[in-house]
Amino acid sequence: MTQEMQFKTIVAQYCEVKPDEMNNDMRFREDLGFSSLDFMSFLGELEDTFDIELEEEDALKVLTVGEALELLERLQ
Amino acid sequence: MGILIRDILEDSVKKFADIKAVKWLKKKDILERSYSELMDNVIAIRKSLLAEGFKGKHISLIGTSSVEWIESYLAIITGNTVAVPLDAGLPAEDLIDLINRSDSEALFLSPKNISLLEGILAECPKLRKVWLLQEEEPDSLYEKTASLAGLKAASANSSTDADRPAPDDVATIIFTSGTTGKSKGVMLTQDNLAANVLSVDYTTEPGSILLSVLPIHHAFCLVMDWLKGFSLGTTICINDSLLHMVKNMGVFKPQVMLMVPMMIETIYKRLASVDSAIPKKAVADNVFGGNLKIIFTGGAHLDPYYIGEFAEYGVEVLEGYGMSECSPVISSNTPETHKAGSIGKPLPNAEIKFENGEILVKGSSVMKGYYQMPEETAETLKDGWLHTGDKGYMDEDGFLFINGRVKNLIILSNGENISPEEIENKLALDALVGEVIVTGEDNGLAARIYPDQDVVAAKGLDEEAIKTALQAFIDQYNKKQPTYRQITGLIIRKNPFIRSSTKKIKRQEALIDEPLPMA
Repeated sequence: MTQEMQFKTIVAQYCEVKPDEMNNDMRFREDLGFSSLDFMSFLGELEDTFDIELEEEDALKVLTVGEALELLERLQ
Repeated sequence: MGILIRDILEDSVKKFADIKAVKWLKKKDILERSYSELMDNVIAIRKSLLAEGFKGKHISLIGTSSVEWIESYLAIITGNTVAVPLDAGLPAEDLIDLINRSDSEALFLSPKNISLLEGILAECPKLRKVWLLQEEEPDSLYEKTASLAGLKAASANSSTDADRPAPDDVATIIFTSGTTGKSKGVMLTQDNLAANVLSVDYTTEPGSILLSVLPIHHAFCLVMDWLKGFSLGTTICINDSLLHMVKNMGVFKPQVMLMVPMMIETIYKRLASVDSAIPKKAVADNVFGGNLKIIFTGGAHLDPYYIGEFAEYGVEVLEGYGMSECSPVISSNTPETHKAGSIGKPLPNAEIKFENGEILVKGSSVMKGYYQMPEETAETLKDGWLHTGDKGYMDEDGFLFINGRVKNLIILSNGENISPEEIENKLALDALVGEVIVTGEDNGLAARIYPDQDVVAAKGLDEEAIKTALQAFIDQYNKKQPTYRQITGLIIRKNPFIRSSTKKIKRQEALIDEPLPMA
């Protein structure tokens, strides 16, 4: 599985949208229906899965799937 | 005759001296403090507060959960001082307003929130002292500022301890959203808090592990995680961030936790996403750490569906009901007495009656009033009966149920009470916003905006340009707000809101006539 697909599979746990139907412009809260806590939990899973450490303040500025992917790539 | 939090704490220190009271993470290490060590620090801070002349004064705290925060809080409320815990996530101007409105003369501030210091010192004239919740001495450039470590050390020169407060003395002021758009300071006495701690029918072995994941400035967390936890001799573990809640369940392996419904909903998504071929016991061990037996929940409505689902993973979810004004628990399901869908039986110190369907509460945990708000106090407290703003009923077995709201507050599933007017006032500052109503939908807040037609015409804006401009304005607003006050839905209305004969917007109709589009 590519990293992007692995990432989208984690996203899909929290919403009704399937990984292959996601696009980078989708917003977590508005388009995917994440609650604020879903988003926090999702960020925690990213840390564990990809062995990265997120700065909470920066991570919470992320709005879209594409921005989260960019952040992930930047930290690796 | 009333009881003091100091009585409860001293009793616990006698009984559980060597048991760990608090555990927390520093990087990957687990640090800990026993009941006797905790008490030594509480007494040291209490003596120094007295020596510095703060007897009878109000002291604010800004920060997330930490051992330093809770020791300072306990020092304040076990002496003759009043603690004002504030939400560290609020914008600076709101925090400054609350420090001033609560007449706080001192502040304990987390080093994480140091960026607030300059503004607070400049705009809070009554503030005489700020202690940073840290071991190192602060930058000497800041006037009036010292470290908690310095405050504790100063107690070595002081032999006099603070007198015991009276049971009817105000111990703490907790701010809660008001329906008029201005938050209200709920005054809770020593007896209010102690009675709530002792009336909740739950006990566990000393040394049991409790993981605290809620915001510490909330009454539910402060009284039920911390004060109740200490009364039972539990070891309270601090969750360092909501990002790490599940990971920290694996680290600390709690037996009991308090959550708001939103947390239960989020964890359930993780449980449900696991391959159904994997045994539920293995999934539960992985997600909950292996020892979790009970989750107490409150602060918002929980869909009873989750109670059955969590039971399959060996975790009992017990729902309760309360509000800051009642210190906070009014009723709760317990391991022995529970009914799914209900909010449990009233506590033994809470008398309940109904007036036009509204739940009214009387008893030893009902607040003294709102700080310096006599009119709001008189509206809420009538002949000792607290008007909760919730509608409900009691079944033939004595279980309480909620089925609606009287007041205008939005209750999100994370337990936050949102005053729509407070946010509407801020959104209305944009010239393009003609009329606005904020509603709670899809587990978040939606702004319904009717654009100002004069501005639209003057700028020649089309539908797309209006949407872009309003979304940009909302993104800017969101950046300055804690997540629970952010707007996650935007509906641009084609028509003005429907108004009543008194020209007030009919909020309920706003939801129906132009509904939120499906996600």
